[in-house]
Amino acid sequence: MKTILRNRLLSLCILAVGLSLGTAAYAQTAAPAAETPAPVATAPLSALELKAAAAKAPTKDDLAKGDPGGTITGTISDVPVSDATSGLTLGDVANQVGQNKIGINFTWTLLCGFLVMFMQAGFAMVESGLCRVKNANHTYMMNFFVYTAGLFAYWLIGFAIQMGGAAGNSNLGGLQPLSSEYTISLFGKTWGLFGQNGMLLTGHTYDVGVMVIFLFEMVFMDTALTIVTGACAERWKFLTFAVTSVIMGALTYPLFGNWAWGAGWLSQLGSNLGLGKGYCDFAGSGVVHSVGGLTALAVCMIVGPRIGKFNRDGSSNPIIGHDISAVLIGCFILAFGWFGFNPGSTLGASANGNLRIGSVAVDTMLAGCTGTLGAMLYMWMFKGKPDASMTCNGMLAGLVAITAPSGFVNPVNSCIIGLIAGVLVCLSVSFLENVLKVDDPVGAISVHGAGGLWGVLSVGLFADGTSNYGGSWNGVTGSVTGLFYGDAGQLAAQLIGISTLIGFVFTFSFVINLVLEYFIGHRVSIETEVAGLDIPEMGQLGYPEFVFRPEPVYSGD
Amino acid sequence: MAANKQQGSYFGLFLVGLTVLCAGFAYFDSATGKALLVLGALGVIGSLFGYMGIKSLEGMTAMKPGSGGMKLVGAAVALLGWLLTLAGIHITDSAGGRIVFALLGIAVSLVGILYILPAAFNKNALWKGESASQRSGMTAAKTTMEHSR
Repeated sequence: MKTILRNRLLSLCILAVGLSLGTAAYAQTAAPAAETPAPVATAPLSALELKAAAAKAPTKDDLAKGDPGGTITGTISDVPVSDATSGLTLGDVANQVGQNKIGINFTWTLLCGFLVMFMQAGFAMVESGLCRVKNANHTYMMNFFVYTAGLFAYWLIGFAIQMGGAAGNSNLGGLQPLSSEYTISLFGKTWGLFGQNGMLLTGHTYDVGVMVIFLFEMVFMDTALTIVTGACAERWKFLTFAVTSVIMGALTYPLFGNWAWGAGWLSQLGSNLGLGKGYCDFAGSGVVHSVGGLTALAVCMIVGPRIGKFNRDGSSNPIIGHDISAVLIGCFILAFGWFGFNPGSTLGASANGNLRIGSVAVDTMLAGCTGTLGAMLYMWMFKGKPDASMTCNGMLAGLVAITAPSGFVNPVNSCIIGLIAGVLVCLSVSFLENVLKVDDPVGAISVHGAGGLWGVLSVGLFADGTSNYGGSWNGVTGSVTGLFYGDAGQLAAQLIGISTLIGFVFTFSFVINLVLEYFIGHRVSIETEVAGLDIPEMGQLGYPEFVFRPEPVYSGD
Repeated sequence: MAANKQQGSYFGLFLVGLTVLCAGFAYFDSATGKALLVLGALGVIGSLFGYMGIKSLEGMTAMKPGSGGMKLVGAAVALLGWLLTLAGIHITDSAGGRIVFALLGIAVSLVGILYILPAAFNKNALWKGESASQRSGMTAAKTTMEHSR
């Protein structure tokens, strides 16, 4: 009798712990069902066992002596008891296990989000450093204010559009308040278009898990917005920048974000049509960087090149930035922040598959390294100098490119992806400037647009099928596998994503900004542009004690 | 014109209007929500017309009117490429076929973005004509830009 009771208690214990851990599923994975609260065993856990464990726990006197080895801190005495009269139960222990998992994931996701937020400082330094001193304040201020503009718009409506239907993430407790996706039925399948819950974070979305995912997704969105400020620097009217940033944070970014990450139609290409695991974008080469880069291209075309950038015969003049040290330091800040960007996109460190965070971090590091090498060697071999600004852009391009595949590829492939991105960014900068006559002072379109599209494509080629975030991705069982490892369907899904970015996102951004051109006008006056935007637009010089001196004419080969 | 109080006021109106508009969306089921929606929309539209009213004060910009029709054609072609990709998803069931359609769609979109739009914007580009400094009567020595020319 005693043995039977003991076995039953043991079974209950295993069941409770197992259920509390739940099925591991990644953020962008539409998990089949939300985690249900673990059944709580109400009977006291074998009182003798608990008493024995409690007896072994260190006393207050033991703890008062200090614990330099960390061997007696954190024991059974630290498990909270729900009912003092019945003492510590199996339910208490199991609940603590579940809360520990969620607590670890919350902490991981928030800390990574804080790192991504700090990338704004890196962007500000890179962009301002690559601009002339007379526009320093204006460029810094754009990078500063875009955080506020984007955050405000995202809180109002952007988050709801992107994540309002993204429930099912067991890493963050299920996120059940975000359970309303607007869908349409087409060709016998249901397709998600946009989320509906979470506007102003009111009602049921006033929830601890929702707050975590809001913060994390918000800083990603802000990264996309800040890409545009660099491409249009030195001639963009601050008012128009502010308005378009609000619109981008409210509509453009969240819409594509929903399609890729928020249970939208791109993520359903796998479950609905059998195309691999659907569109896969681990940390946002497409969602963040391509959206930002393509929007930057759209606005850059409308706002036009800076005065003096092109000669009458169409040849271009280099316009040298004022602070290469800021560029290099800013680039390092970005590389540091990227460790929040990519590994943080597991949205947890404690669940099946999430221990891959180490691999994601190393892939990120390596792609940045080979991107740097690719760009620097290209410039050195073909232009004669290891150009600092292009080397920085090479590192950033490598990081941008690995963002989508970082969760699915091995270190060798990440090196290849980064290297190609580093060379690609040099070619793209030259193509934009010399063929299209698009003036992008910082190379943002090439770094984020071209690099981002390459990253999305590389998932469809290089994903090696070894990742296992709970056994499925986007609701499709199995691991993400690219063409080189046997799944052509995944490549098709990625190409459909690229087509959507180029065909829809670019056009959407272009039309919105064309409307703003009609109502507000994107460009500052000639007088303002020539004088520098700091005084006319911001009322203060970035460096008031600097004396403007003519720049030397560049006479490189 | 540069930044000024009017710009700030209209941007403030835009933000308030957008906030009220979104509150209207959030509580659309109630009568108050619908009223907020209308009120917010009026605020946003009002701010847009406010912007337009002060746009002419900006002064001459370093842009010439381009080919408006071609800009829209370029955007339409870019969109067409996407629609072609979407059509391809349902025309064929094979992964290879869908890859071909997606590549075709991407190529069409790129024609719109990399060929038609730049041509439309560069057709009357300021840099093709007289220099901006001559147009505005400014001396070249004032700017670092002019020295780099």
